[in-house]
Amino acid sequence: MQTEQFLREVTALPGLSGGEEAVARYIAGAFEPYCDEVRIDALNSVIARIRGRGPKVMLCAHLDEIGMMVAKIEDDGALRMRGIGGVDPRILPGMRVTVHGKERVLGVIGAKAPHLLSPSEREKNYAWDELYIDLGMSAERARETVRVGDCVSLEGGFTELMNGRFATKTADDRSCAAILLRTAELLQRMDTTADLYFVLSSQEEVSGYGAMTAGFGVDPDFCVVLDVTHAKTPGAPELEAFEIDSPTIARGPFIHPYLRQKLEDIAKEQRVAYQCEVVPRDTYTDMDGLETVRGGVPGVLLSLPVRYMHTSVETFDLSALNECARLLAAYCASVSGAWRDELWI
Amino acid sequence: MDLKQLCEIHAPSGNEKELRRLLAEEARAALGEENVRTDRMGNLLCSIRGQEAGKPHVCVSAHMDEVGFIVMGATEEGLLRFRPVGGIDPRVIVSKRVLVGEKRLPGVIGAIAIHLQTREDMDRVPDYDHLYIDIGAKNKQEALEQCPPASVACFDAPYTLFGDGFVCAKALDDRVGCYNLLRLMRESYPGDVTLAFVTREEVGLRGSAGAAYALQPEITVNLEGTAANDLGCGETQTQVCAAGAGVAVSFMDNSSIYQRRLYQKMMRLADRNAIAHQVKRGVTAVNDAANYQRAAGGARAITLSVPCRYIHSGASVCCLNDVEAQYALTRAFLQNV
Amino acid sequence: MLRDTLKTLLSAYGPSGNEHAVAETVKSLIAAHVDNMHVDALGNLIVEKYGTEETGKRIMFSAHMDHIGFVVTDIDEKGFLRVHNVGGVSPRISSARHVVFENGVEGVLYCQPVKGEETAMKHLFIDIGAESKEEAGQYVLPGDMAVYAPDCFELGEHRVAAPAMDDRCCCALLCELLMYLDEPRNTVIGVFSTQEEVGLRGAGVAAYSVNPDIGVALDVTAWGDTPETKLPAISLGKGAAVKFMDSSMIASASVRDALLKAAAEAGVPAQREVLPFGGQDGSAIQRARAGVPAGCISIPCRYVHSPAEVIDMRDMEGALKILLQFVENV
Repeated sequence: MQTEQFLREVTALPGLSGGEEAVARYIAGAFEPYCDEVRIDALNSVIARIRGRGPKVMLCAHLDEIGMMVAKIEDDGALRMRGIGGVDPRILPGMRVTVHGKERVLGVIGAKAPHLLSPSEREKNYAWDELYIDLGMSAERARETVRVGDCVSLEGGFTELMNGRFATKTADDRSCAAILLRTAELLQRMDTTADLYFVLSSQEEVSGYGAMTAGFGVDPDFCVVLDVTHAKTPGAPELEAFEIDSPTIARGPFIHPYLRQKLEDIAKEQRVAYQCEVVPRDTYTDMDGLETVRGGVPGVLLSLPVRYMHTSVETFDLSALNECARLLAAYCASVSGAWRDELWI
Repeated sequence: MDLKQLCEIHAPSGNEKELRRLLAEEARAALGEENVRTDRMGNLLCSIRGQEAGKPHVCVSAHMDEVGFIVMGATEEGLLRFRPVGGIDPRVIVSKRVLVGEKRLPGVIGAIAIHLQTREDMDRVPDYDHLYIDIGAKNKQEALEQCPPASVACFDAPYTLFGDGFVCAKALDDRVGCYNLLRLMRESYPGDVTLAFVTREEVGLRGSAGAAYALQPEITVNLEGTAANDLGCGETQTQVCAAGAGVAVSFMDNSSIYQRRLYQKMMRLADRNAIAHQVKRGVTAVNDAANYQRAAGGARAITLSVPCRYIHSGASVCCLNDVEAQYALTRAFLQNV
Repeated sequence: MLRDTLKTLLSAYGPSGNEHAVAETVKSLIAAHVDNMHVDALGNLIVEKYGTEETGKRIMFSAHMDHIGFVVTDIDEKGFLRVHNVGGVSPRISSARHVVFENGVEGVLYCQPVKGEETAMKHLFIDIGAESKEEAGQYVLPGDMAVYAPDCFELGEHRVAAPAMDDRCCCALLCELLMYLDEPRNTVIGVFSTQEEVGLRGAGVAAYSVNPDIGVALDVTAWGDTPETKLPAISLGKGAAVKFMDSSMIASASVRDALLKAAAEAGVPAQREVLPFGGQDGSAIQRARAGVPAGCISIPCRYVHSPAEVIDMRDMEGALKILLQFVENV
């Protein structure tokens, strides 16, 4: 499938953490043509395998997304909500959202009008309790349509900007799902010995349980985690933001030095431009939970820089995405049994 | 290796390679090639076969890694930007010497001269966004050529004996534990014993998670260095334990509540064998015992610590008698299990 | 009777890490009703009631035995005990409280704030009536734990208040469930878990060794029906709550929906719970091994983590019916 088409479709699907069923089914279908087996596990993670005799390698990107849940329905029909994952309430006022009630309905996030706020109130950002979802319905109909516990997804939209850049909801981390799919496609024409597991993990935005439990089930020798990282924008801290046009390879105590060196060597060999991202401690990706599963899963972290993370206009560069896939495919093809023995020499 | 040699090796979390190599050499010499292995997490696991059947498998664990620094980048002027690896209070690193990278390039962490500081500057706590390592590089390019991103640095601090049996050094947490594991290696015990030198404790108990799952020992004795806070604080209620008062036995810390029976057994054993010991009173810190207690279906664990003053600095201080007591109590436990 | 079982369990001593007295009480209540009981290395009491069908599922229920408390860290020269919290204790509501140790020693917990300092655990101490360090040391040692003294009383017709209601009410519920179940098709594993209040520690290892197909935590939840409270949208007396989410877990849709369905079929009300904070054993079960679909049934409980936690017995009775139906349906 064309990467752009896949992205357009997959970012349009709701898949809030813990409620990833629909997007999991779609992604499982997309991997089907390239894999020997595809399944969806107990926590909604997709596990697609290209069989091999060599070391087991788990390639992991997450399929869930941030969003909200209805926490209370006020007497007047306004919905109070809370974030699933790290939602910044500052992006919400004036946003159109989809409320997944008995039927899918459009909601608008409202708050007290600025005209009615005191000057000191206007200095502060809205807190969760000051925001609500307006369904444009009577209170009675709102209660018939929506219940506490229903999910709310952020505004969608897939916009092509200049220079092959795209702005969409859920580039975090569906862009990396696209990288994995493209990798699987590229591998069809390459020789590999590794036993490859493409894992699209659930719940990364809330707990990381998807990758941990899928990792326990797969029991891999190594892992490659793919996630998004911050692309530079004005005011972003210098050490934690990167150029948008090429992937980053992480270095730090959570990253295996030998496997990382291999990845960098292969990038150079394949002439894939990359940036170095130093992570002094937790990576805040699936790596953190996956690496300590069972007896340990040493691995590397490959990231695609994205602007405006955790908004509905996450922006990335399609050529950087394709380069990630090219690098990853070459890496998978290079994996050999010798790596297992050389890990700690 | 003695404690001095152990402390002088550089092994910030994730860079335990050199220490592991040296420990492995010594372990192979003592126990034979077949009883020493490195697992997936880079932990060095050394097995000692028990003399009797039917005894529980005990693991004694200490972490190889120490806190340190990691190079993030460089300024145009050639100063290295860096972050801590593990928990280091930025207030203790100003005006200190460090050694950077595999070549151990000397560097210093300076500060703006007091003459040039404003009133507000003087009240401000230094933070990692305003501290730099100066290796003498002329510009960014030279700095990063010498110290590429992710190079690690350690305190450049000698091992010095002072006072009445005290030592001042970097990395006492947890080279004291590694040192005692090496000593425990020279004997045999009634039950099977695994001595585990684990990686990356200081960045969130990483290495031991793998070791605990792979080994699943019935009992684990975790050997640590722990913050003492015994001098100059006046009130006894904030004391954690005291340097020079013996090995500290924990009933609870921020990552484990230890099994009461095991805690009491340790206290009794120390009493009976006249080993200097104390209760670790403060509920502070997290350590690898959490992983050993809660890997897979769960097991018993206890932590025995050497009290260390100024822990996680280049000048941590402990009492050699306490190191001895940690060894003696662990040995007594293994003999009596 | 549920109320009697509850009262028996409320009086047992059991701060996190020292739950054996609660385990013994539970054992004596249910020994005749289960096929298998054992205590693991972390003190979890794990009981099994075998299902009649070979192809039946393994359903794990978890209710935690521990409650919050205070561990002695130091005894000062005058015989006052300094303490550290065990679990989520608010120093503000811990002043002038009657507390008790495992050996029966009683004390008054008091908070002496220091001017200009924010009230913290270091301002708390326990007065056991001793006049010196030596005297106090005869009764209590560092590492010993105190809990709010048992004090159970009834409020109106339906409500009961006590410390340790979190989570003994659910221990009682689980005991009753095991007593009522008569030759279930599915195997039911009751885990009376330890160390929940310090981070779901017991349930995690229990879930690993039990290796269930489905997990349901039984715990209390917060309330939004007293003055000045807003969320969660939960009231006492309106039925047990089926958890959708809290800070520790997004409930698995399959389990959550099965619990709601069981409530509907049993003809009892169930509230829908979205809790903006908090955690419970379900989270530890969900992440066990290769992942376990997990959910949680909550008993609404006012003033959680205080010496007077209040529940409504109608919610308890409703929860029992939901669970019986749920076990039947799986």
